[in-house]
Amino acid sequence: MSVLYIALPIALLLGAGALFACIHCIRSGQYDDLQTPSLRMLIDDKSDAERETKRSESTHHDRS
Amino acid sequence: MRGISPSIDSDGSNPVADDRGSATEPARQHDSNPDDGGSATVSLPCVHCGEPTPCVVGANAEEVFCCNGCRGAYELIQGLGLEDFYALRDQSLGVNAGSSGAARWFGGQDDLFENFDSEAFLGVSKPQPVAGGLLVSDLSVGGLHCAACAWLIENASLQTDGWQAARVRMNDHTIRISFDPTVTSLSRIAAIMNRLGYPVFPMSADRNDSFKQENRRLLIRIAIAGFCAANAMWIAIALYAGEATYVANDHRLLLECFGVGLGVISVLGPGRVFLRGALSSIKTRTPHMDLPVALGLAVGTVSGVAAIIAGSGAVYFDSLAVLVFLLLVGRWIQFRQQHHAAGSVDLLLRMTPRHAELIDGAGRASRVLVDQLAAGQIVRVKAGESIPVDGLIREGETTVDLALLTGESEPKWMSPGDEVSAGTVNLSSSIDIEVVRVGGESRIGKVMSSVEDAISEKVPIVILADRIGGVFVMIVTVLAIATFIGWFSTGITQAAANATALLIVACPCALALATPLAVAVAIGRSAKRGILIRDGSALERLSKPGQIWFDKTGTLTQGRVEAMWVTGDRSVLAIAADVEKSCVHPLAQAIIELAKRYGWTESEQTVSTKLVDGGVIGEFPEMRVAIGNQSLMRRIDTSIDDHFVVAAKDCTVNGFSPVYIAVGDKVVALLKASDPVRVDASKTIQRLHRLGWHVGILSGDHPDIVTSVARELSVDESLASGGMLPEDKLSVVNQSDSASDRAGPIIMVGDGANDAAALTAADVGIAVRGGAEVSLQAAPIFISTGRLDSILELLLASRRTSILIKTAFAVSLSYNLIAVALAMLGKISPLLAAVFMPLSSVSVLSLTLLWPVFKSEKS
Repeated sequence: MSVLYIALPIALLLGAGALFACIHCIRSGQYDDLQTPSLRMLIDDKSDAERETKRSESTHHDRS
Repeated sequence: MRGISPSIDSDGSNPVADDRGSATEPARQHDSNPDDGGSATVSLPCVHCGEPTPCVVGANAEEVFCCNGCRGAYELIQGLGLEDFYALRDQSLGVNAGSSGAARWFGGQDDLFENFDSEAFLGVSKPQPVAGGLLVSDLSVGGLHCAACAWLIENASLQTDGWQAARVRMNDHTIRISFDPTVTSLSRIAAIMNRLGYPVFPMSADRNDSFKQENRRLLIRIAIAGFCAANAMWIAIALYAGEATYVANDHRLLLECFGVGLGVISVLGPGRVFLRGALSSIKTRTPHMDLPVALGLAVGTVSGVAAIIAGSGAVYFDSLAVLVFLLLVGRWIQFRQQHHAAGSVDLLLRMTPRHAELIDGAGRASRVLVDQLAAGQIVRVKAGESIPVDGLIREGETTVDLALLTGESEPKWMSPGDEVSAGTVNLSSSIDIEVVRVGGESRIGKVMSSVEDAISEKVPIVILADRIGGVFVMIVTVLAIATFIGWFSTGITQAAANATALLIVACPCALALATPLAVAVAIGRSAKRGILIRDGSALERLSKPGQIWFDKTGTLTQGRVEAMWVTGDRSVLAIAADVEKSCVHPLAQAIIELAKRYGWTESEQTVSTKLVDGGVIGEFPEMRVAIGNQSLMRRIDTSIDDHFVVAAKDCTVNGFSPVYIAVGDKVVALLKASDPVRVDASKTIQRLHRLGWHVGILSGDHPDIVTSVARELSVDESLASGGMLPEDKLSVVNQSDSASDRAGPIIMVGDGANDAAALTAADVGIAVRGGAEVSLQAAPIFISTGRLDSILELLLASRRTSILIKTAFAVSLSYNLIAVALAMLGKISPLLAAVFMPLSSVSVLSLTLLWPVFKSEKS
C-alpha cells in the first residue's frame, strides 16, 4: 500500500489541528483588536529596574 | 511644587510697587498699534498640546502652557517619570502634530469622580473580581489618537500604587483597568486619567456588539476557507505533476477525492454566503455581484463531482477554494474599513451627564439617573458641572458656558426665570433648575437625533458601485450562458470548462476592490496626517471646488479670549488680576495672563469679589474696583473720561470688546479683549480662493466682529454673517444647497458639537474642534491637527484620489474585457482563470498602494 494513503490524511489532520487552534483564538477574542498590539510592539519598555530608579528620583524631586 | 517662572518685565520692576497714577511704561511699547498689546509678544507652542500660546519674548520655551489643564497634565506626566511620552508622540504624529484637543475641565475638581465608586453609575462597567483580589473594569475612554497615548496610559498605571494594569484598545476606544481595591479606588484612577487628558466614561449598557461578532464570524470563515484553499492547492500540484509525467490511477483518484472534498467543504461552508446572496439576488430580482460568483462555484463543484463519479474529466477544486478564500478576504477588508473611524459611542451620553441631584419637597438631595427625571422636578447643579436637562432656573444666579450649543466662549449671565439647556456648563455658582425637557426631547438631544438620521442614509458611491455591479453581473451571466451554448457542440465538459472559466475570470472583485481600496488608502494616509475620515464618499465629493462655510470661533480664530492693553494706568493691572484670580471666566484668565506678562505674581491677598452682569466687582479694604463692560460702568455710576470713550470706540471698530477697569468711581484703565485669528487662516483662505472655492463665514458672534474678521481674511463680506444660532447656520447651508448656480459641493467647517446640524446638512462637513468621537458622528471628516492648512491638504488629496479611482476602474475594466474575450474563445482553462483573477486584483492593489495621494509622502 502506498504511503500516500497514510501521509495525505495525516497532513490534512495536522492542518485541521492548526485550523481549530486558529478558530479557538478568534472565538476568544484575540483577533478583536488588531490595532493596538501593532503600536505597542514598537515602543521600548524600560526594564523594571530602570523604572524603579526613575520613580524614586521623581519622588525625591517632588519632596525637595 | 514645580511651577512656571513668572515672566519678568524688561526693566525688572513690579508694577504694583509703582506709584498709582504714574505712567511708567517700558521703552519698547507702542500704544498706537492695536495688535501689539503694548509689548512684544511671540507665539510659542504649548509644551503639552502644541496650541500656539502668546507669551513674552524670552519666555522659556520649555515651560509654555496654554491653560492650566495642559500644565497639570505635564506636571503629572513628569511626576510619573513618563516624559518620554512627548518624544513618542512627536514621533508617531510628526513633529508639528499641533493641538490634540486636551480634555477641558474646570480646576482640579477631582471630587467629580466620586461617582466612579458607585455601581449604579458604572452599570456595565461595574468592576468584576478576578484572581488575586483585584477588580477589573472596562470603561470607554476619550482622547486617544496615537500609539503614545496608549503607552502613556499603560505606563502611568504601572507607576501608580494599586493600579495594576491598563489595557488600551485603540479600535473601539475602551480601556480595561485592573486595580487593587484595598490600595486605591476607581475614582482616583479616573481622576488621574482625566488629568492626563483622557476622560473616562462608563460603557453604555446597550453597547453595539454586532461589529465584534460579525468580525469574528468573518474571520472564522476566512480561516476555514484558507485551510481548504491551501490544502487544495498542494494536492492540485501533485495532480498537475501527475498529468505532466505519470501518476498511478488509484493515487490520482485518492488525490482527486480529497481535493474535491476540500472544494465542496469550501463552497458549502464559508462559501455559503455567496450562494445565499445569489439566491436572494434572484428572489428580489436585483442583480448582485454574488450571482456570477455563485454560478461559477456551482458549475465548478457540480462538474468536479461528476468528473469523479464518471472517472474522467477535469476537476477545478483548487480554483474554487482559492476563489472563495480571496473573495472572503476582500469582503473582510471592506467590512473593517466601514467600521473604522467612529466607534459605537452613544452621542448623547458623551455630552450630557447621566446623573443629577434631585431636590425633593423637603429639600433633601438624592442622586438619580437623568432618564428618571420628570418635568416639574427640581435638580441642583453645582458650579463646574454640566447641566443635565432643559429647564428654568428657580434659584441662584450664575454664568453658563453655552459653548456646546452656540460655540461662543463668552459665558452668559443667568438668573431665576431664565431658560437653560442640557449639555451647557454651569460656571460660577450652584443653581436649582426646574426640569422642562429631558434626554432626547432636549434641544441638544434633537440636534443629535437629526445627526443620527443623516448617517443612516446610503452613500452615493455604494449606490453607483451596486448599479455598475448589477449591469456587470447581467452581462457576465448572459455571456457565460452564450459561451456554454456556443461550445456545446464540442462536448459538455469543454463547454462547462469555458463557461466556468469565464465566470471565474470575470469575477468583479477587481471592480469591487478598486474603489473601496483607493478610498481606504486615502483614508489611511489622511489619518496619519491627523485628518480622520469616516467614509470615503466624503473624500470623493471634495474633488471639485464649490462653496465652503467656516465657523468663526475656534475654527478661524483661536477660540480663546486674549486681553490686550490699550491705555490708562498700567499699575491697575495688578489689582485687576488680584480681583480676577478667583473668577471662573475666560476673560478673567485672559486678564491674569496679561498681568503676568507685565510682571504680576499671584499673591496671597484675597479680595471679596462679586460677579455681576457685565463684569466683576472687587471690594478692597480701601476702595472698590470694577472690571467690565460699558453698561456695568454706567450702572455703578463711574465716570468715563473722553479719551477712554474714544479709545473704546476705536476698539469696537477694529473688532475688539473694550474692558474698563474702574477704581472708586472713576475709570482708570482700558483693556481690549478679542479672539485672535489663527496665523494660517489668511493664507489658507487665499489658497482656497485660488483653487476656485467660494468662502463664507457663519458665526454666532457679534456681526461687527465677524465683519472685521472677514475683512482681515479677505472673505467677501456678503458671505460673512454673524449672530447665527445653530438653526440659522443650518438654514444657510440648506439654502446654498438649493442655489441654482451650485456646481460643486457645499462644505461646512466647524465645531463637531454645536455646528452638528449644519455639518450634517452640508455635502461634506469638516469638524475641527471638539472630541474626535463626538465630531465624527456629526461630520464625516474630523481634523485633529488644529491647523487650517490640513483642509487644503485634504482637498488636494481628494482630487488625486478621484483620479486614482477612475484609473483603477479603467484598468480593471479593460482587464475584464480582455479576459472575458479570451475565455469566450476558449483560450483559458478554469485553472488559468483562477490564477488570472487574483493577478488582476494584485495589479489593482499595487496601482492603488503606490499612487501618491499626498504631495510629500511621509512613511
